[in-house]
Amino acid sequence: MAPWLASGLVYASALALTAGGITLLYITTRTFNFAHASMATWGFYVAYTGTVLYGGSPYRYFPLSFLFGSLLGVVCYVGLNRPLLRRRAAEITLMMSTLGYDLVLLSGIQIYCDYLTHTFRLFPRRVTMSSYDAEIFGMSASPLILPLTAILILTVFHLFLAKTKFGISMRATIENPLLAGVSGMNSDKVYLAAWVVGGGMASLGGAFMSMAMTGTPVMGMMTLPFMFAGAILGGLYSLYGGILGGFLVGLAEYGAVYYLAMLGGPWVLGYRMAIPLLIMAIVLLVFPSGLAGLPWGSLPRKLAGAMRGVKS
Amino acid sequence: MNINRLYAGYGKFKVLFDLEMEVPANEITVVVGPNGAGKTTLLNSIMGVATVFSGDVVYQGKRITGTPPHKAARMGISYVPQMGNVFAGLSVSENLQMAGYWMGKNELNNRVDQVLDMFPVLRQFIGRKAGTLSGGERRMLAIAMGLMRTPKLMLLDELSTDLAPIIAKRVMNEVARLRNELGITVLLVEQMAKRALEIGDTAYLLVSGQVRFRGKAGDLLRDPELSRVYLGIKES
Repeated sequence: MAPWLASGLVYASALALTAGGITLLYITTRTFNFAHASMATWGFYVAYTGTVLYGGSPYRYFPLSFLFGSLLGVVCYVGLNRPLLRRRAAEITLMMSTLGYDLVLLSGIQIYCDYLTHTFRLFPRRVTMSSYDAEIFGMSASPLILPLTAILILTVFHLFLAKTKFGISMRATIENPLLAGVSGMNSDKVYLAAWVVGGGMASLGGAFMSMAMTGTPVMGMMTLPFMFAGAILGGLYSLYGGILGGFLVGLAEYGAVYYLAMLGGPWVLGYRMAIPLLIMAIVLLVFPSGLAGLPWGSLPRKLAGAMRGVKS
Repeated sequence: MNINRLYAGYGKFKVLFDLEMEVPANEITVVVGPNGAGKTTLLNSIMGVATVFSGDVVYQGKRITGTPPHKAARMGISYVPQMGNVFAGLSVSENLQMAGYWMGKNELNNRVDQVLDMFPVLRQFIGRKAGTLSGGERRMLAIAMGLMRTPKLMLLDELSTDLAPIIAKRVMNEVARLRNELGITVLLVEQMAKRALEIGDTAYLLVSGQVRFRGKAGDLLRDPELSRVYLGIKES
């Protein structure tokens, strides 16, 4: 597997999870969650702590990362989001409040890093998690395991939404909170569940991410624009669109940088952050409602028509 | 149900002023009035959706002012809103399941069967998404969802919207049957005033958030001045 593709797949799986989480929180609680940044970083530090202090492969600690993210999500919902929703706060207020929560989490990360250094003589501010990776068939396991894990999680979540009573009530509340309320559904429980799943996906995504890049206290902050880019590319209102959007943004960043650097020289690397955002801007100019707004059903026919020179 | 000295609206915006209303059990109470009179706000404040500034809603001897919607629903009050009254992205069968959300599995399945017997036309669409139904079929589904909860009190908002006149008439007859056969108390807000007043017992005329008339439904229908000015009913 080409080196860019291997780390690209890991990074893309991480963005798929985080962008999916951002979308889920937005369509349920109308909140654009900036705290996704440090929730992701915390997920990485949970996996890191487990690996260096207790040993074994980092994957053993990924479930813990997810649970810790859920906990951070619940704290955010109960302490911040729910009181604001009850006061019918505007979307901008909801969004800015999560920025504040993110700064609190970031400070927590810095304190925790100092604690690790003082107590265990560790250097947690620049971590290469991929050096702890396991091997399958003579190559790193992460490009294989992480995309499969992402697909597994999304399949389980899809079945939960499609088949279980609580999952259906989640879809009902997302579509029409008023009717869901007068039908006897408690939207509070649905929103709490969204933060449990969305927070877990954020932190697990952060743990994924550290397998492809250097783990630092600001890793989440640096990648937050791409999580949002993925969610926006997905159309913001579609959970599956957000997941696909995140995946494409991640893969595009690694692929485009690799090939452009081959063509134009290494100076391109300095502009790597611009590439996914450029892709997002171009897609939105052509399809304003993102991937979810594409005419998927008639797309093959239209493309075939365009190739024959027929206007559809 | 009684409503005492109710002032209600949304946010800081007041819509209803000093509203007094009595909704007698096992009767149909009709609320009519021009657009913007506050008819929907009245239902929203009973259900805990609108903001109540002062006054009380008393249901079965208990003060339920400010009770959240999902709790009001579990007390046997069933609300069929005018717009957005079905989950378009869910199938007909999922819609009915959601309407009886907190019932046990057996009770839920029995109830779905009973409701489908009342509206047999829905059986043929059971697996289809509610968003693909016609206006009349959706309205049927919305009422069926309202009945899923075996309500004691039904709040019905503008049932005849989007319906062909003949179907609207049939729906109104269904409402009369709810009272006659099931003994359900109905609070009906309606634009198609004539037909609603014909099946109703008590009537209120609401204008600019205040009660302009209260009395027997038939009396309002026969009042030449009020029915002409506010309801567009011509004398015959």
